[in-house]
Order: sequence, then C-alpha cells, then structure tokens
Amino acid sequence: MSSERTPVLDARDITVRFGGLTAVDAVSVRIMPGELVGIIGPNGAGKTTFFNAISGVTRPTGGALTVQGRELAGQGPHRFAANGLARTFQTPRTFADMRVRDNIAFGLKFAGRRPRKYILWGEETSVPWVLRTPESILGLIGLADQADLPAAGITPSQQRLLEIGMALATRPRMLLLDEVAAGLTENEVEEMARLIRRLRDELDLTVVWIEHAVTTLLRHVERVIVLHQGRKIADGTPAEVVRDAEVIEAYLGDEMNASTDEEAAA
Amino acid sequence: MNARQFLIRDLLVLFGLTGWALTLPAFASEFAVSMALTCLMYVALSSSWALFCGTTRYLSLATSAFFGIGAYTSAILLEHMSWVQVIGLGSLVAAGVAVVMGMAVLHLRGTYFAVLTFGMTELIRHAISYFEKSVTGTVGRVLMVVPDRDTVYFTVLALAVLAVALSIALRRTRFGLAMLGIGADEQRAQTLGVNTRRVKVAGFALTAAVAGAVGAAMSVRWTYIDPHTVFNPFIGFQTVLIALIGGAATLWGPLIAAIVFSVLAETLRLQVPQIYMMSLGLLLILSVLYLPGGLASLRTESFLGWRDGAKAWWVQTRDDLTGETRRRKLREKSLRERRDVF
Repeated sequence: MSSERTPVLDARDITVRFGGLTAVDAVSVRIMPGELVGIIGPNGAGKTTFFNAISGVTRPTGGALTVQGRELAGQGPHRFAANGLARTFQTPRTFADMRVRDNIAFGLKFAGRRPRKYILWGEETSVPWVLRTPESILGLIGLADQADLPAAGITPSQQRLLEIGMALATRPRMLLLDEVAAGLTENEVEEMARLIRRLRDELDLTVVWIEHAVTTLLRHVERVIVLHQGRKIADGTPAEVVRDAEVIEAYLGDEMNASTDEEAAA
Repeated sequence: MNARQFLIRDLLVLFGLTGWALTLPAFASEFAVSMALTCLMYVALSSSWALFCGTTRYLSLATSAFFGIGAYTSAILLEHMSWVQVIGLGSLVAAGVAVVMGMAVLHLRGTYFAVLTFGMTELIRHAISYFEKSVTGTVGRVLMVVPDRDTVYFTVLALAVLAVALSIALRRTRFGLAMLGIGADEQRAQTLGVNTRRVKVAGFALTAAVAGAVGAAMSVRWTYIDPHTVFNPFIGFQTVLIALIGGAATLWGPLIAAIVFSVLAETLRLQVPQIYMMSLGLLLILSVLYLPGGLASLRTESFLGWRDGAKAWWVQTRDDLTGETRRRKLREKSLRERRDVF
C-alpha cells in the first residue's frame, strides 16, 4: 500500500444528524485501492448510517467526501454508482418480481454500462471478463442454476448472494457490504468470506465490510475501523484493534476476551 | 412465447383494433361514433396514465389538470392556428406544467403524492377561474371555429394509438426498465445507477403530454368550455379507476377497461345515473379484492380458483347450517376422550 496513490474513498469529518441526534460524529476514513476493510461497532453505533452517508443514500449533514478523486458529498446515489461505488443492503432488496438474471441485468444497463468497441456494437471495453454478461456474474457468485427463477423464489442466503451480484453488475471499483453474513450458518459465512476475498483479489476491488458479528469479521479482514456512539475510536489491523484499551472498554469486553482465549487455547 | 413474439402479437392486436376503429365513422350511427370517441379518449388517458403511474407506482390524480390545460390552450389558440399546431401546443404546455409540478412533488411517495397532485389540480382550476373572472371578465369560453366531427374522431384515435404504441415501445427500453425499477424499489434502483429524479419527471411529463393533447382535441366537442367542465376532477378519477380495474401494470388492461366503461356509461348513465356511479365503485372494490392485477390478468385459472373457493365456502356453510360441523366436533372430542382413557 503506497501512500502516493490516490485513495478510492476519502471521507473527511462526515457528520450525520437526525434532528438533535448525532448518529455519525465527524468520522474520517481514508481507504486505499485494494484494501479489505471491516467496520465494526455495537448496535446503534452508526455503522449503517455511516454507510448510507458514504454511498449517497443519506445526505451527510457535514463533511467532505471524495470518491476516486471526485467530490461527491450531497449528490444522489446514482452519481456514486457511476463513479464505481456499489453497495448492498442489510436486508436484501432484490427486485422480487423480476427473474434472477434480470436483477443482474438491471445494474449492467445503468451504472454498469460502458462504451462499446465500435460506437453501437462490439464488446464493451475495459470490463473484466467475469463481469461481462449476467450469466458470467451469476457463475461468479454461484447462482447460475437459479437464473430463471423469480428473485422472490430463492432462499435468503441466495438473496444475499444476489445482492452482491447486483452490486457487481454496476462494474464497481469499490464494494460496500452491509452485514452480508448476518443470519448465515458457519459454513455459509466461511464461503461468503472466501467469495469476498476472491472478488477483491481477482477483480482488484476495494471492499468495505460491515458486520455485527465481530469474531467472523476479524478473521477475514486486514484492517478494522471501530465505531462507537457515532465516533471512530480505533483504526488498525485486527491484532492492534483487539488490544486497544478504548475498544475493549467501550464495546468488545467479555466477548472479545473469551474469543482470544479460545484462539490462544486452540 | 419469447419477447419478440409478444411484440409481434401486441403490434398485430393494435393494428387490428386501429383498422376497425378507422372504419367506424363510415358506417356507424352518430350515437355509436360519439360513444367510440369517449371510449378512445379514456383509452388514451388511462393508457398514458398507466405508462407512468402503473410502472412507477406513483398514483397521480393530476390527469384532469393536464386535460384542462390542453383544453384551454386549444380554446384560446384555435382561432389563430391550425388544428395540428393547436394539439401540439396543448400537449407541450401540459408537459411543461408537469415538469414544474413533478420537480415540486415527485420526491414524495404514496398518499402524499396523490393528495398533492390532486391539490395542485384544484389550485390550477381555481387560478384559471379567478383569472377568467377578474381579467377577461367571463365565466367560460365559446369556441367559434370548430373542426368537423371526423377530424376530432381521427385525432383522438391517433392519440389513443400513440398512447398504446408508446406503452408497447417503452416497456422494451432502458427508460421503461428504469421506471419499473423505481416501482419495485426506488432506492435500490438509484444505487444501481438510475437517475430517478430525471426519469420520474420525464415519465410524468410524457403522461401529461398525452393528456394535454387529448384535452386540446376534446375541447371542441363541447363548443362551450368553462373551468368547471374541463378541470372536472371526475376525468382524473375515472382515468385512475379505469387503469386500476383494467390492470395498471398491464399493457391491454386500460384499453379493455376503457371499452367496458364506455359501454357501461352510455347504457346506464342515460337510464339510471346513480347505478352507473355505484357500479363503478363496486367494480373497483371487486377488482381490488379478487383481481389485484386487473381485468387483463384474468385467466382460466382465476375462474377455477374462484370456483374452488365458492365450493369450499358452500360446503362450509352447508355443514354449519345442517349441524354437521357441530356433530363432527363432538365426534372428534369423544374420540380424544376415549384415547385418554387407555
């Protein structure tokens, strides 16, 4: 990670207020290309609100936001999508009436649209092979067999995969994942983590991953940001963060001690 | 059928209906032609309404505003311009008003949007009434130069065909897909790259353009217009009712329902006007309860489903009335008790 490269996402003093409540309080985050970053925090820490603010879904009350060198604070989510920032939602929000394949094709037709080789026909230029067609994206996330089913007819864990597929269809540079592993079984979580690492490595994506379950996340990411009551209280490698006194005090407490003991014992 | 076969089917049906409607003035009576004109007017209005509101699920009650604006444009300009120019300008003015209105209210959803569009319709109606009374000093306007019946008929027919053709074409484009995405989950569509604000305003303006053109064409039918008749909220309500009963998300629903309605209207309104309004309400209730997809979603299976439902209901009622339900419960109870003994 060289410091002279421009960050994919540079959020400076992002603040979100709802009336008198400050949900996110002057959080600054700088994310470099190719990073796999986790955001953790207890319930109500402002994780999802922060996510909404950096993906354009809610307009931040204050602060500056640069995505791939472009100032985007206060603009609509479609501008963020057009600048290579894709996100998933905590509860899968697929288009229930459309088929799985059409759900993927939707993103390809809007934010994922790229100029063609010749003006009106030919292949789209500068698109990774696996993101070329709905079928190849479905193959990547492992839903090729469900392509013709309506999106409402697949299982919840498949819907989470489809959410990721829809985000990938915008051909992003950066992927924001909001609790994609919540409610999955142990095996499914491992598989999800493998998929995310694979996306990062094969597609050169930058991934920011929010998770409520701390231990799962810490095993898989390289850098952790901890939010507590809307403020950023720690930022570093998982090993550094779990030793941070403020983090332990504020949030991790017994749960973290228990799990580090387990790991030490194992 | 694949997408291409559906397109061919839709175009053939439209072609056939158009040809049939084209020949109508040549042989039909005055009464039939006037009935067909009303029918075509509602085909155009509700097809274009469903084009935007059916796909995006923004329930607009502003149709009568655009209709009235078109009618007034036509009443003012008819003496100075040709027929085609008048129609074009009527639709342009209505679309312009829709752009302004859309910018103001399209960030609201659901009931708020419906109520605000209705409020704006009333605002425009009263503004024009006030303007006419205080500035021009009249209550209404008399249209002097009026084109003949066939011109009006063919114009409205062309607008109806245009509305249906637009619906056929738009659902196959990126714009139509964007509207569908907005209807399914607006925020999700936004994060996938749809500029929802622009799409909504454009779709709303398109609806208004058709309604304005229809208003401009229909105003000459009355020869005397005042804000009360052309901004009549009933035009907007009836458009929405027709589209909902026919199936707002479907292509042919509004057309089917428009035909059903004009037949109902002409047969019932003359003899028993109260029953006409009541049957409108009844049809809406029935279609919302038992046929949420509208008349166009009616299939053989829906009849079979209703039959099975009715049969089950009859068996239940019969058993209740003959005491069979009570006896069955007693039997089951004694069976349970006997099992408990052992």
